[in-house]
Amino acid sequence: MEQEGLAWIGELLSRLENTPLAVAIAGSDWAFPIIETVHVIALALLIGTVCVVDLRLLGLASKARPYCEVARESLPWAWIAFAIAVASGTLLFITKAVEYSENAAFRAKLVLLLLAGLNMLVFEFGTARDAAHWDSARSIPWAGRVAAALSLILWVSIVFCGRRIGFTMTPS
Amino acid sequence: MMEFAQWLSGTPVSLGIHELDWLVPLVQTIHILAIAMVVSSVFMIDLRLLHIVGSESIPETASRFLPWIWIGLLLLGISGITLIVAEPQRALPNPAFQLKMLLLTLAVTFIAAFQISLGPRSKLWSQADQSRPAIKFIVAAFAVFVFMLCCAIAFAGRLIAYLQPG
Repeated sequence: MEQEGLAWIGELLSRLENTPLAVAIAGSDWAFPIIETVHVIALALLIGTVCVVDLRLLGLASKARPYCEVARESLPWAWIAFAIAVASGTLLFITKAVEYSENAAFRAKLVLLLLAGLNMLVFEFGTARDAAHWDSARSIPWAGRVAAALSLILWVSIVFCGRRIGFTMTPS
Repeated sequence: MMEFAQWLSGTPVSLGIHELDWLVPLVQTIHILAIAMVVSSVFMIDLRLLHIVGSESIPETASRFLPWIWIGLLLLGISGITLIVAEPQRALPNPAFQLKMLLLTLAVTFIAAFQISLGPRSKLWSQADQSRPAIKFIVAAFAVFVFMLCCAIAFAGRLIAYLQPG
């Protein structure tokens, strides 16, 4: 890292790479593909469950069921899947912490993840506070539909960036 | 198989795909999104089959999610074939790929069996049947097995990259 002020980040990342856990994963033939598979399944479940809610908000699916019911059945699993995706992603990250953090696609993915998280928070604590009323009013406010559309766009972009990382890292 | 793969890699289509260097990651992205469609739909049906959620009947849950499974499988087929045509020697002779196809055939068979026997238009699913413990157990085991198959298919798919010769 060029800037002096951020040199400590480079230090930290180097040390992460050299922890016994990171070295063990990097050195094992099976650990990386197994953790990658867990990451793929977790993100598949995350995107799928988030999509169920987004499509309901956009009025494109599950229209017969109240929003609150759809959300209640799907969102808890989205959070569990997200936690597993972050945990598995972190295990993958630490094996080449320095190189990943300098990868443009990885940085883009992190930014998009933050935006997706922010979008969800704004929706949950702002727009969706009156969600119970949406069922009786039988319509979703435009802010909810915007959040759903943004969510879909962001998650598709995150998957694309994730794939680009694979293409732009130097093979070991 | 090797000769077919070699021939395929020399065709204009295969070479043409490589002209656009964003095409393979884009097709892989579609492949992953289609995986999300299938795995999540299997998961949502499984939650119902395992009685973890129960706000609607099993055929109702099946009618919500089975279409997405079939659409997802179609997208997986189209994107998968595109990836094979782009790099035939990477996939076709690869044992991980061949295992993946075997597991996929098994999974599709099971899902089709579910569609026919417990899907929205099925008449096999009566209230009396639902509460019999033996039936509940078989259905639960089936639900878990299909999900595990999906995970195994994804793992075999990941292994394709790791079992490249040289």
